[in-house]
Amino acid sequence: MGAVTYPDEKVAAFINARTVPVQMAYDAKPYADDFNIQWTPAVILLDEDGKEHFRTTGFLPPEEFIPSLLLGMLKVHFDLKQFREAIDVGDTLTKEYPKSKVVPETIFWQGVANYEDTHDPSHLKAAYKKLKAEHPSSEWAIRAEPYDLLR
Amino acid sequence: MAEVRWLNDMNEALQRAKNEKKPVLLDFFNPG
Repeated sequence: MGAVTYPDEKVAAFINARTVPVQMAYDAKPYADDFNIQWTPAVILLDEDGKEHFRTTGFLPPEEFIPSLLLGMLKVHFDLKQFREAIDVGDTLTKEYPKSKVVPETIFWQGVANYEDTHDPSHLKAAYKKLKAEHPSSEWAIRAEPYDLLR
Repeated sequence: MAEVRWLNDMNEALQRAKNEKKPVLLDFFNPG
């Protein structure tokens, strides 16, 4: 990550603009134990209270790192019940990085966030139909399959 | 060339996160 992804102009600009970045060695005390770090690189998104909401382990190239962080931001908003913000971040991700490997997971969580925001189950079904049409081999299409039974 | 402006103090990062309404990106790396 330090040799390829973090030096990338777009990645560095995104991180500086949208996050507060902290870097530590894999054995830094007490945080390596607090966050159960067993392998690196490990990238974790925390809310302002220090609570973990998203984690990715292993190398990601620049073109996948920003969408991965956007998905993480969606998860932060979702966990904090900021559903509209979660949906907006997902929209940005799917529009700006339509070929990213995290798009299917993003569609899934957008459907769930839309449901949580409106209590309208049609959003869950719509997410499944979109996944089935656009990402039929994705595990997220499978995870959303029960939503097709909703009326 | 852009560089990530890393902090190494968690308390400072959390305070900034509160002030700036941003998530903290915590990167654990192996310095080798």
